[in-house]
Amino acid sequence: MKTFSYVNATNEKEAVAALSPSTRDGHGDALAAARSGHQPSKVPIAGGMDLLGLMKDYIVSPDRVVSIKGLDQTIASGDGGLRIGAAVKIADLAEHAAARKMYPALVTAAEGVGTPQIRNMGTVGGNIMQRPRCWYFRNEEFNCLKKGGSRCFAVDGENQFHAIFGDGPCHIVHPSSLAVPVIAYGGRFRVAGPNGAREIDAGEFFQMPNANLYGENVLQPNEIVTHVILPAPGQRSASYEVRFKQSHDWPLAAASVNLVMSGSTVKSARIVMGAVAPIPWRVQAAERMLAGKTITEGVATDVANAAVAGARPMTGNQYKIQIARTAVKRAVLAAGRA
Amino acid sequence: MDNGSRIPASGSRQVAEVQAPARPPQHEKYPWPEKSRLLGTRVSRIDGPMKVSGRAKYSYDIVRPGMLYGRILRSPHAHARLKSIDASAAEKAPGVKALLITIKPGEKVMFPGEEIGALAAATEQQAADALRMIKVEWEVLPALANVEQAMRPEAPQVFTPANTRRGTAQEDGDLAAGFKSAAFTVEGTYSTQVQTHTSLETHGCVCEWNGDNLTAWVSTQAVHGTREGFAQGLKIPQANVRVITEFMGGGFGSKFGPDMQGLLCARLAKAANAPVKLMLDRKEEHLATGNRPSAFAKVKAGVSADGKLTAFDATTWGTGGAGAGSDYPLPYIYVFPNRRRMHTDVYINSGQQRAMRAPGHPQGCFVTEVLMDELADQVRMDPMEFRLKNLPPLAPNAMWAKYFPMGAERINWKSRHVTGDPTPGPIKRGLGCSANRWGGAGTGARAHCEIASDGSVVMRCGTQDIGTGNRTIMAMVVAETLGLEVPQITIELGDSHHPFAPGSGGSTTAAAVMPAMRVTAGKARDALFERIAPQLGVAATEINIGVGEVHVVSPSTPDSSASGQTASRSGQAPILRRVAWRDACKMLGTVPVSVDGQWERGLSAGGTSGVQFAEVEVDIETGITKVKKIVCVQDCGLVVDLKTAETQCHGGIISGVNYGVFEERILDRNTANMVNPNMEWYHMAGQSDIPEIDVVLVDTPERGVIGIGEPPAVATAAAVANAIRNATGVTLRNIPITPDKLLTELERAGGTN
Repeated sequence: MKTFSYVNATNEKEAVAALSPSTRDGHGDALAAARSGHQPSKVPIAGGMDLLGLMKDYIVSPDRVVSIKGLDQTIASGDGGLRIGAAVKIADLAEHAAARKMYPALVTAAEGVGTPQIRNMGTVGGNIMQRPRCWYFRNEEFNCLKKGGSRCFAVDGENQFHAIFGDGPCHIVHPSSLAVPVIAYGGRFRVAGPNGAREIDAGEFFQMPNANLYGENVLQPNEIVTHVILPAPGQRSASYEVRFKQSHDWPLAAASVNLVMSGSTVKSARIVMGAVAPIPWRVQAAERMLAGKTITEGVATDVANAAVAGARPMTGNQYKIQIARTAVKRAVLAAGRA
Repeated sequence: MDNGSRIPASGSRQVAEVQAPARPPQHEKYPWPEKSRLLGTRVSRIDGPMKVSGRAKYSYDIVRPGMLYGRILRSPHAHARLKSIDASAAEKAPGVKALLITIKPGEKVMFPGEEIGALAAATEQQAADALRMIKVEWEVLPALANVEQAMRPEAPQVFTPANTRRGTAQEDGDLAAGFKSAAFTVEGTYSTQVQTHTSLETHGCVCEWNGDNLTAWVSTQAVHGTREGFAQGLKIPQANVRVITEFMGGGFGSKFGPDMQGLLCARLAKAANAPVKLMLDRKEEHLATGNRPSAFAKVKAGVSADGKLTAFDATTWGTGGAGAGSDYPLPYIYVFPNRRRMHTDVYINSGQQRAMRAPGHPQGCFVTEVLMDELADQVRMDPMEFRLKNLPPLAPNAMWAKYFPMGAERINWKSRHVTGDPTPGPIKRGLGCSANRWGGAGTGARAHCEIASDGSVVMRCGTQDIGTGNRTIMAMVVAETLGLEVPQITIELGDSHHPFAPGSGGSTTAAAVMPAMRVTAGKARDALFERIAPQLGVAATEINIGVGEVHVVSPSTPDSSASGQTASRSGQAPILRRVAWRDACKMLGTVPVSVDGQWERGLSAGGTSGVQFAEVEVDIETGITKVKKIVCVQDCGLVVDLKTAETQCHGGIISGVNYGVFEERILDRNTANMVNPNMEWYHMAGQSDIPEIDVVLVDTPERGVIGIGEPPAVATAAAVANAIRNATGVTLRNIPITPDKLLTELERAGGTN
């Protein structure tokens, strides 16, 4: 990896300042550069689970790495929900008593991340901010669209693990397991930047490639996610992941379901799929179908069919539709049983 | 190979299957003991504590004073001609001490990852950064990314004289008559993927020159072969080269010589006048250090109404990469009285194949065994009964007819349903079986043994322990022969300064080295007796080995042979006097016993057989297969260490599960670049993916020692594939059986919901 300088930020202000372009850079130029395919020259690091790989593979080569692992690492109750510091380790989230009780869909997703080592080092914020695992993006030989190249190699190449939703031009699947249930729970991200802090609805945070080809979300290079804020959950919720390997693998498809119940009837639902699109993929048509229903195998099957109805597979990933369908069906049934 | 290409037209020298008589006559002087004290028991690896505590130093761990770090410059293209190369910036980069360019403008590269240069710098990071400063301009040429592309009539001619090389037809019996007598036939195209070795320790070495003498710490399966390779490649005498491999982290057939990276490392060390470490990274491993070739077989086979195989006709092909072969044994094991087979090697622009754990056998096994299940269904026979009906006759190296029922018992074959689990719900359970064979003979190992006056025993042998437990079983044989315990034996191996032993390939090591241990330790024991006999006041023939002591026995022992001390005599004669081992050795004074010995006939054999059974659960709504259990019934002649023999089976079975379900080298079809040169998308079983493994080792001590490294890896994938077929009712003739393939077939059969 390229030689870099290291800044240990002890608070948000320091972190944002260290990530901001210096006056010498010409304010704003770095931001503009990042939007045009150039990787930012200053990047935050927490657990480093993703960033170090990107740097070793020369996919990103920052001049400065800013440690934000010392920022808020607590999980606090408030407003009927939880406020989770972005620097909380994934393993700590998975073991947190209140989180386990209130947000089973999130805990299931956290337990499925990577390996014990990755969960012990990796943070909640890092999981949300990690870059795609697309093998064309990750291999230096392929100068793909996302890296400023002229084509997406997946289109007529090896796309068995790519997106079945979205119109391109880039066909990654979003790699975050935690973002999927966070959106299902109606969560928000607190973001700190040069103009102070703001909150962004998690459902509005991620961006499709036609809106942002070189990044995956609305963050500016000098902004950081500091907290995940979860409102009170519905009475029932669950996640289901389908993985090729049971140890250390990415989901082929995942689904999180959050249900507000009235007795045994679903009052309203949120259904979000993971690993099927460039962003966590919420399916409102399927959500509406669930409202007013009692959960049965038949209802779950209909909802699952509706969830994948709009899928547009590539040349080699048609099979993922069936897997996504199964993930939704099983998440709905699991939530129904919860 | 075309003009300008720099790689040889065939694969590197390989160690393959070695056959020998299945049951040799017994060694006269040092036969294996009739009743063993240690052999066949479970002994834990003597180097286990060192390995798990990190004290064992692998080539990767070697650090020498002033050592530099080397990196190799490789082609990013599958097929390209060099236009220009400019290394001037790299040469001046911080820390760079030596730089070599091994390609000239106009020359071609034939696969991504082909070596074109190397440099050494003071730190790993400086080396990696400097490498990127070398400016290379290429004329990118048309490349072949898979066999379909290479075999198209309109394919560009990338290889000379052609992209394919057709072999000669092998034919036996009367094919037409065979098909005429068939009541049913099965036709299909079967295929297996390219699998890379993925050794946990990557290839590489540390090279250090002292004047004209080279010492190399190499991750290799052959210290002597690698010494020869360095000498040839560097044009220096073998006498000037020493190769050391004290601990080694896996090779599986891919590490028999210095390879390009070893020679480049030695040249960098010479140029920089400093030791250089050059270990490859995971990506380089996948691209350029060997693989198991793919295999394709278009087969038509016939079976009579009463379940006898009648005919087998196959057109086969496969690729071993850029200019390397891809042949494999077919049909495998079962008796097809009339058969024909024609194989074609197909060349593509990828790294060349190398021997990989039972080269060819898993491919031939998969094709034949899946076909066998399909044929059994045609005649409505239980697949195991069908196999029993078509096996070669029982022989010491052909014991399948006995082993199949043993395995069936352990997997509860009685519970097997016919093809397609009728149980409602998405989870379908299935059972499958398959058989394997291998040679596993070995010869040629030499050894030197010393017994010192304090009772220490040192055995030196220029073999290597590539992770198999060789060091442990060597100590067991020496301890058994000298009446000592394993910790009392010092084994020195992995050094080309030690007496010659062959490379560890083809499962030959145990069969080559254990006889040398037995003979050399036996000779040392005889020499000890000769030396101490005068002080004991008896004839050497009146001394025997006890446990931790030597015995003076009655001279009237009935079975005294000319030389006396046969192992079988031990303990039979009346003991007149007991002398502790240390006291006996004390009589040696300052001059130790020091003897040479070597492999001799009568202590080892060749030819193993085994069967495996698989139990799987397939989720037909996701296409995910969970291998629940593998039963392995396997022989390897005389079992030296039951524990390490079983763990060889565990390792082989895990690699077989990977071959059947997970592993696949995936090349981008448009550029021939590998998209999964890592351990993230190159899927391999993790802890939760590994099944319960039940190993039944059949001890046949009368046959002598036979190797077991490769046989257990052969049959697993086929057994798993057959179990998946039994579970789901759909036939997949292609491994790995991934969710996409399974769901596609299930959907075709209308069965995903």
